[in-house]
Amino acid sequence: MFIDIDCAQEKKYNQNTYGDYFLSKRYPQSGDLIAVLSDGLGSGIKANILATMTATMLLKFVEAGADIKTACEVIMNSLPVCKVRKISYSTFSVAHCSEDGEVRIVEEGNPNFVYISGNNVVEPPYTVIDSDTFTNRHMRVYKLQLKLGDRLIFCSDGVTQAGLGSPELKLGLRRSGLIRFLLEKINDTPDISSSELAKFVVRVALNTEADRKAKDDTSCCVIYYREPRRALIFTGPPYHQEKDNEYAHEFYNSDAKKAICGGTTANLISRELNIPVYNNVRSVGKLPAVSQMEGVDLVTEGILTLTKTYEYLENGFNDKEKNAAYDLMQFLLSSDCIEFMVGAKLNQAHYDPNLPIEIEIRKNIIKKMAKILENKYIKKVTVRYI
Amino acid sequence: MKKTVVKICMGTTCFVMGASELQELEEIIPKKFGNSVDIQGVTCLDYCSSCSEAQAPYVLVDDEVINKATIEKVMEAIERKLNNGQE
Repeated sequence: MFIDIDCAQEKKYNQNTYGDYFLSKRYPQSGDLIAVLSDGLGSGIKANILATMTATMLLKFVEAGADIKTACEVIMNSLPVCKVRKISYSTFSVAHCSEDGEVRIVEEGNPNFVYISGNNVVEPPYTVIDSDTFTNRHMRVYKLQLKLGDRLIFCSDGVTQAGLGSPELKLGLRRSGLIRFLLEKINDTPDISSSELAKFVVRVALNTEADRKAKDDTSCCVIYYREPRRALIFTGPPYHQEKDNEYAHEFYNSDAKKAICGGTTANLISRELNIPVYNNVRSVGKLPAVSQMEGVDLVTEGILTLTKTYEYLENGFNDKEKNAAYDLMQFLLSSDCIEFMVGAKLNQAHYDPNLPIEIEIRKNIIKKMAKILENKYIKKVTVRYI
Repeated sequence: MKKTVVKICMGTTCFVMGASELQELEEIIPKKFGNSVDIQGVTCLDYCSSCSEAQAPYVLVDDEVINKATIEKVMEAIERKLNNGQE
C-alpha cells in the first residue's frame, strides 16, 4: 500500500508565521513514514520556535532508533513549562506508519485524531501513559492496523475550536463537527487525495469563523493508505546493446505510466518494438518539443529536458510557456512510486568541450532528481542502472 | 509526385548546436515549395556519435545528410533535389 500524506495550514490572523509545525519523513528502504504535528504555545514566532523544536526533536529521536512511545515519553517529561501560562510549551501528535498498514500513534495535548475506514469513524482502543514529572500531562498510545482506503486525520485545536464563542457554535466546531464534514466530503469524493482533504478541513475551519479570520493557528494532516500510482521512466540506452530488446519489452509491458526521456532511447524502443515515434519540429521555450509514441504517456528529449525538470522541481515552474520539462514534472508529481531505468551508455558527443552549453552526465542528474523527489516531494523512488 | 522529405534532428547535441534555430523551416518551406516538401522533426539521427558532434546539427533531405545545417544550406539542398527531379 502507498501512504499518501499531506498537511494544510493557516496561520492565526495578523501573525506573520505559523505557530503549528508539521514534519514528515519517508524511509524508502524500510517503507516506513514518520509524521509529527506540533502546536506551539501562543502564536507567531514564539509558537513557531516551540513547535519546530518539539517536532524536530521527536523526529530525530525516532530516526536515531528510539521507539516512538519512548521518544514521546522523554519529550513529555522534559518539555519546559511556560512561565506565563504554567502549561507545557507545546503539544504534539506522532504517527509511525508502515507500508503494510501498521501504525503506531502517540498524542499529547492535541485533539484526538479521526480514523475513517470506509465511510465510518472507528474509535480504536488506546493506553494512557501519565507523565512522571508533570501531573497534568498524559499521552495516548495507539497501535492500529489500517487497510487499503483507510484514513487518519490529525489536526491542531485551531480546527476543533474554530467558531468558538459564536452564537451558532458556542463550543466551536469540535471533533464531532469536523467528523460530520469529513464523512460528507469522503462520501462525495471517495478517492480524494490527502492534499485535497487537508485543504478542505482548513477551509471548513476558516469558513466556520464569522469573519473567515483564523483565531488560532490551524493545521490538518491527512494520512491515506491507497494503491500507489506507479511511474516508469526509461532514459539512456542500456550499456549492453544485446539487452536492448529485453529492456524495451520490460518497459513497454509494465503496468505503470510510462515516459521516455531521450531521442536515442525513443529510437531504440521504436526499433525493438516496431512502434513509430512522431516528432514535432517546433520547440517550446528552449527545449525540444515532446514526441508521441503509442502506449507511452510521455516522450521527451533527454538531458536538457531532465536538467530543466530538475530546476523546476527545485525552484518551481516559472517559465511563460508550458514546455516538455513542465510535462515531465507533472508526470512525476502525479505519481507516488517512481522508477528510473537509466541506461549507462554514454553519448560521447555530449561531452565535447566545444558544445555551446555544458551537458550534465545522465547518472548525476538522475541522482539529484531522485533525491529531491524523495526529500521534497515525499515520493518513493528507485533507480536502476542498466 | 514523390515528396521530398526533410528530417531535422532534435537530439540533444543537434539541438544545442543549432537545430532549435531550424524550426523556422516549418514556415519557410511551405511558403516557397508548397506541398512538394514534407518537414519532420526526428529523435536523434545518431550522426553525432557515428560521424562527428562538431558537424552538428544534422538534417536529412531525402537521403542526403547535411551537416552544420543552416536554413540556407537546407533550402539549397531542397532546390537541388527538386530541380534534379524535374530534369
